[in-house]
Amino acid sequence: MLSNVNEYFRPKTVEEAYELMQNDRDHSIFLSGGTIVALMESSRIEKIIDLKSLRLDTISVTEGEIVVGATTTIESFRKDPVIRKEFDDFFYDAFSLVGSWQIRNMATIGGSVAPKLGWSDVSTCLLTTGSSLMIYGVDGYQRMLVSDYFALPTGEKPLITHVMLKRDGWVSAFEKFSKTTFDIATVNVGLSIIPERNRIKGARVVCGSRPQYPARFESVEAAMVDLEINDVMPAIVRSLVYESFSGGSNMTASFEYRKHLASVLAQRAAEKVKEMIT
Amino acid sequence: MKIALTVNGKLHDIDIDPGEYLLDVLRRIGYKSVRRSCNSASCGTCTVLLNGKPILSCSTFAASVDGQNIETVEGMADGEKLHPIQEAILEEGGAQCGYCIPGLIMAGEALLRENSDPSDEEIKLALNGNICRCTGYEPQNRAIKKAAKVMRGELDD
Repeated sequence: MLSNVNEYFRPKTVEEAYELMQNDRDHSIFLSGGTIVALMESSRIEKIIDLKSLRLDTISVTEGEIVVGATTTIESFRKDPVIRKEFDDFFYDAFSLVGSWQIRNMATIGGSVAPKLGWSDVSTCLLTTGSSLMIYGVDGYQRMLVSDYFALPTGEKPLITHVMLKRDGWVSAFEKFSKTTFDIATVNVGLSIIPERNRIKGARVVCGSRPQYPARFESVEAAMVDLEINDVMPAIVRSLVYESFSGGSNMTASFEYRKHLASVLAQRAAEKVKEMIT
Repeated sequence: MKIALTVNGKLHDIDIDPGEYLLDVLRRIGYKSVRRSCNSASCGTCTVLLNGKPILSCSTFAASVDGQNIETVEGMADGEKLHPIQEAILEEGGAQCGYCIPGLIMAGEALLRENSDPSDEEIKLALNGNICRCTGYEPQNRAIKKAAKVMRGELDD
């Protein structure tokens, strides 16, 4: 039990939820799926602001992009027919590796991105697909890329209301290494390619659990442009990631180990993408 | 604060602390099949069904499920007659110490409602959040397969 919690709010609007947070930022916390909040065991938390009451749990197609409410659970998202069809089961397969079935029924898309966790497979996949977020903060509603959200100052606590996705011809794959089937990633890698006449027109290469939060390897992406999509390409991607890997060490893995893992996972992701294209 | 929970079809009006977990509330009102083990969302022992979907009660705030439907293993048997999953777990040796079994049965039940004829791989994926230190999982996987057959009417119970 979070024994110091003495108030539990169920706001009806995004504005109300944000206002509640501003009233006592030091002792309040947003609750979405709850899988992170419940494990915090923090005596600091006195007020829980439950975002489920905002009913931000729908998936719709608007003006050519898919708009996902932030409190949509990971399991609902991965099994949604629109998401499955539009992304050729990229999210369906990738998110089957996120936690257990139980955790996926609890954890939400917005709640997986909001705390800027280094190991979040969800964040890696959203970066890989070039997704955007709608957030509500001090300046009202604002749309930004997931990467820009990660760059926000730590003190800011905007509320994520929606995730926006658009495939636009990109082909994506995700690979993860973890110690057990539903453990957090030691390293995860997402890779997207946009093909043109059997060559790479554009690439996104994302590595998470470095252990810092997921980041794009832009030098690798630049070097991949114009590569022929053939049997050699995945090995080239592996070398590029190995040379350009940026990350660190922690109790889970050393920098050197992560560097090797990331390069091999990138090669496997590139193999998958190649198979899908050719 | 007060919440209302429907547990195995029975409505309960309950006083809770705002920071209290569903696991503690369910045990307090008598659903002792719901067990604490890791207490960190890692083992699946505390699994219950929330509106038909398996979740972990050790890391779900009770206040967050106000007004919703919970199912525990107490609601599975029909009087003296065990549910096919319970029966199959017994027959296949799927329970040894038995501590993790209520959570595993609830995950298995959710799977069979969604997929009446799961493959071995689908069973493994569905149950990978339910850790058992006794059995090595094979008897439990067999039990789910067997229960699925019974529930499809292909095998007598």
